Amino acid sequence: MLSNWQTEIVKRSEIGPYLPEAEFERALTRLVPELVRKHGIHYDPQVLIPSDDDMADRLYQAGMDLFLEMGAYNMSTERRILFSRGEVEEAVAAAPSAVRLGEGKDAVVMCWRGVESQVPCVVHSGPTGTPCSERYHPLILQSCAQEPLVDCLGAGSVSTYMGRPIIPGSPLEILGVQRDAAAAREAARRAGRPGIHINDVASPLTCAGKMAALHPAWGLRRSDALLVSQLPELKTNYDQLSRAAYLQAAGVHIVDLMTPLVGGLGGGAAGTAVVTVACHLLGVMLYSPSYHIYGHMHLLESTDTDRMGLWVYAVGGQALARNTPLLTTTAVYTQAGLGTEEVLWEIAAGTLAGTVAGMHHNGVGATGGSTPDHTSGLEHRFYAQVAHASLGVSRQTANGLVLEILRHYEGSHKDPPPGVPFPQLYEIETLEPLGPWLDLHQRVLDELAAMGLDVHGAWRKVRRERGL
Amino acid sequence: MTDERLAARLKDALRSGDASAAETAARKALEAQADPLDLIRNVLVPTLTEVGKQFQEFEIFLPELMAAGDAAKAATVILEQAIAAAGKASSSLGTVVLGTVQNDVHDIGKNIVSTLLSSHGFRVVDIGRDVAPSAFLEAARREKAEIVAMSALMTTTRPAAQSTIRLFEEVEARDDFKIIVGGGSIDAAWAKAIGADGYAPDAASAVDLCRRLVGR
Repeated sequence: MLSNWQTEIVKRSEIGPYLPEAEFERALTRLVPELVRKHGIHYDPQVLIPSDDDMADRLYQAGMDLFLEMGAYNMSTERRILFSRGEVEEAVAAAPSAVRLGEGKDAVVMCWRGVESQVPCVVHSGPTGTPCSERYHPLILQSCAQEPLVDCLGAGSVSTYMGRPIIPGSPLEILGVQRDAAAAREAARRAGRPGIHINDVASPLTCAGKMAALHPAWGLRRSDALLVSQLPELKTNYDQLSRAAYLQAAGVHIVDLMTPLVGGLGGGAAGTAVVTVACHLLGVMLYSPSYHIYGHMHLLESTDTDRMGLWVYAVGGQALARNTPLLTTTAVYTQAGLGTEEVLWEIAAGTLAGTVAGMHHNGVGATGGSTPDHTSGLEHRFYAQVAHASLGVSRQTANGLVLEILRHYEGSHKDPPPGVPFPQLYEIETLEPLGPWLDLHQRVLDELAAMGLDVHGAWRKVRRERGL
Repeated sequence: MTDERLAARLKDALRSGDASAAETAARKALEAQADPLDLIRNVLVPTLTEVGKQFQEFEIFLPELMAAGDAAKAATVILEQAIAAAGKASSSLGTVVLGTVQNDVHDIGKNIVSTLLSSHGFRVVDIGRDVAPSAFLEAARREKAEIVAMSALMTTTRPAAQSTIRLFEEVEARDDFKIIVGGGSIDAAWAKAIGADGYAPDAASAVDLCRRLVGR
């Protein structure tokens, strides 16, 4: 058993079986349906949150089989990094089942939850995967950091520096990253939560850019985290592995980001669920993360709140919660834009599916993360309210609720309401949500309460239990 | 005129993504004196159009699309050989140089576009991902392309599409090619702003756009 696999991973990257990338992809497309059949993984669009423990366990085995057979593909060497079953099982067993995020009074502990758990979720906030303008980015950050129910802050991304497009690998990337890291730190301070866990600065594309976010005084610290990414499906490269190597040595939390595509190389919902489990195993073996982002996405729409996306959350989350100590999180990407009723219903569906499946929550990306400034603190407050209200809810009940919630947005999923950006939803001097956005939030909360979810009271209980 | 039974066998092979069966069906059709150009235009292209629509509607997924594309490629090789042997002009609608822009390593969307363009009769030269502006230019000239197609998924990489167009302008090659853009971070307004000849929001529209640009 090793605590640091880096030298072994490089060795296997250099001497593992050579396979052109296109052939790796085709091999994966052939193997996944075989495993889906062999392990009897069935997607039912009427049962989005299955209560089938046995299927969850079979799904885990299918994901394990996929990872053992395919390995991780190193795009830098065009070779497969292979592991034995014993190596993977040991590493999974040794993975953290609880991590302390943030520091001082603002720290939270994210721990293994289990299916239908009463253990409170840790709720991160945005701006998650949604680009921000230079002008509004600091305000959006503060609107999130000042939300008491939000536990962690994502620094998000801005694609310009002083009005100039950031060219990856150029000095502007370094300067932009440093500005964004400092903006997140400052937002935390202004919100009175200087020790809140900051989860990534998403602007940079290069390894050097990512590392530029770290600084003990004004940037990200050891109590914060940076993402290390997988490329779909089951791929990595030396650039990503180098990030993991540096962050491990620096003692900074590593977050394993995966984006399996529903409808992509894994095929439909069942195949994508198998791939997603395998991606978690890849993350454990290659990156030694503190936690994972379960970031599957519809291939054509960049969202995860359609029926297949919700099912993949529910069944994959259960497979991992029942068979591993891993800490994984939802990242709810909606079709609808910010400030709409639909965006809140989409968030509610994704949060409910993930919570009962044993997951924590990493943030919301409205408009599938495509439209600038479609992110604010209020929808993250809502995210936390639904997450806490979903604690201990049975999968069967959650399934009924999700089907009911879907009725509020499924009809417009193909042609979603565009919504409006942050400055039209917040008073930008006081950083308070404007009346219509607050009213909408309240109305959807009330409707969820009428369905039986304790969205008004559950968060109070969680706060009391945490001693806050 | 193509024997309907043989045409149906080729269609089935394409739909089921069976490259070996598609190759055999194409050979059998040629042995039965079918016109290879007729097979491409009236069997391959409509069948792959139908498969592309099913994919766009999410009735089938990427593995099925890729398999159908591979099968079409296998059949096309046989049919193109027959066309060349008969001394006729290639059935190709034109050459498209396709790649993901500099610093962007995402290529699934680009690969889908490649599959659909190939199966609709375009000669696609896929130059991969993270492609420098100069590499687009070099490939476009080398391959005598009609169209240069660029994809960018990230907002931080889309400026590279603009840099590429600027390079074509700088070396006075802009008028030699139609340049089109697409991908998650690009919209019609951005495409217009950087002076692209066209924008496609998805793979199926990329095929329509390319057909329009080559006048087919």
